Amino acid sequence: MALANPTTVPHPQFWRTMWANALLAPRTTLGFMRIDFVLGTVFVIPLTQMVFFAFVVTLGGGGASDVAYVALGNAVATVTYSSVFSVCQTTDSEKQQGTMEHLLVSPAGRFALYFGRGFIPILISLATVTVGLTYAALFFGVTIPVATLPELAVSVVLTAFAMVGFGLLLGGVALYLRTSIILGNIFLFIGLLLSGVNFPLSSLPPVLQWIGDGYPLTWGLAAIRASISGEAFGSLALLWAAVAFSGVVSLGLAMGCWEYFERRALSTGSIARF
Amino acid sequence: MALAAGEVSRLRTTVASLRLAVLQFMADPQWLVPSMIAPVIFGLVSFELFRGAGPYFLTYAILGAGMMSMWGQTLYGSGWATGQDRVFGTLEPTIQSPSPYLYVVLGRILWNIVIGLVGGGIVYGVVVVAAGGPPALPNPALFVVLFLFVMVTLASVGVLFAAAYVYTRYAGFIQNIGEFAFYVGTGCMFPVILLPFWTNPIALLFPPTWALDALRYVSIPGYTGFGWGWQVDLVGAVVSTAVYAGIAGGIFHRVERHVLEVGNLSEY
Repeated sequence: MALANPTTVPHPQFWRTMWANALLAPRTTLGFMRIDFVLGTVFVIPLTQMVFFAFVVTLGGGGASDVAYVALGNAVATVTYSSVFSVCQTTDSEKQQGTMEHLLVSPAGRFALYFGRGFIPILISLATVTVGLTYAALFFGVTIPVATLPELAVSVVLTAFAMVGFGLLLGGVALYLRTSIILGNIFLFIGLLLSGVNFPLSSLPPVLQWIGDGYPLTWGLAAIRASISGEAFGSLALLWAAVAFSGVVSLGLAMGCWEYFERRALSTGSIARF
Repeated sequence: MALAAGEVSRLRTTVASLRLAVLQFMADPQWLVPSMIAPVIFGLVSFELFRGAGPYFLTYAILGAGMMSMWGQTLYGSGWATGQDRVFGTLEPTIQSPSPYLYVVLGRILWNIVIGLVGGGIVYGVVVVAAGGPPALPNPALFVVLFLFVMVTLASVGVLFAAAYVYTRYAGFIQNIGEFAFYVGTGCMFPVILLPFWTNPIALLFPPTWALDALRYVSIPGYTGFGWGWQVDLVGAVVSTAVYAGIAGGIFHRVERHVLEVGNLSEY
């Protein structure tokens, strides 16, 4: 069909763009996430990371409750591998595969484009946390009452969404960088220190606590711990709101970053360099 | 003395590879950062978890974090270099050249040892600043010697892995997925004897397990590791390192022949 106005650019539908990206990303920008990589991320990394910190706590004189605390924290923290590290690297993939220029001139809606790209990582994140929590219950003495499973499921889903939003934000920042590896590595592990994964946030200096509060993992982990301990719906709802808020803010900032750096890219023509 | 046609100087190959590794690092020194972030954070987390456990637990945190950093530089640097060669398309010409690939890798590993020590030093500095002071060391000189030896044992693992990486497209997978398993298996942050007994023989297959146990014996008073003491640890580390080096040499020779016959080297 001919266009009514030759200067009008047709914008693909939101859902079509999102689904196309969700389905294509594992073969393109997320191509490094092969099935062996995904299976290792879901089944191996959570167990080895939990074992590592459980023994560190044991060596430091920690008891069963400390081991359970650390195991639960690390079970959730492994979500960063798929949600933050992998999503953040999609920008590098675009640059290395030479598709960045084409993406920048595409009329496709950016939100659908990037959110679609994060769809598979969200699913992998859900699987990673679920397997991690299973390990925590089976091997590390973490008690997960059956009655708390619905609240726990909501907390896990919200955390996965929020963390992928944060990964997209880093991907947006990485647009301006030569590589996202450094950024990805920082946020892959920073949660172990600043998000209450291995010890309560209150044992850190106030400045570090504030930084930790800005990271969605902190709120997601707090919501998951609260869900398992059977806290009242009111306080749980507040934590869910905080997780959702951190995810929305991350996504909003991600879109802002992309828009800003896209404009710079189009004016300088240098953004695809790496 | 000039080399006859067809002869290859192993020393020249190693030095050339080392020089190239130095130049590549100087061109983009930011690559020191990714392999140091995890060790620094793990060191700080362990320090926090060990807080109040005793004066020598700072040594555990520093040794563990330092080893992680050195491990990252040694293994990642060596293994990743082979992977990058494959991606950039330079692996085939390198293997086809008359110089044995082993000496190309050796040059890279030598530089990675230097950078690993720099990384270990930086990790040490960060954890010491966070702790408010250095750990008490009963025998600093022996500690330094053994610390350097740990680096050599790590390099022996690195060279063996690098040989295997020529064969596989899954170097990145092995490194990423096996990272924590190696930290646990070699007891980099805690004594291996804390692990279930059946895991101990497996852990002893790795030279760093022996070397780290010896290092802890000389640096942590009252340390309870393998019952045979640090001298036997040292012998075990030397023997296992030599075995690794020998196996790596054999594998490199075989791998080079095999990939030239099969011709699938550049697939990834």
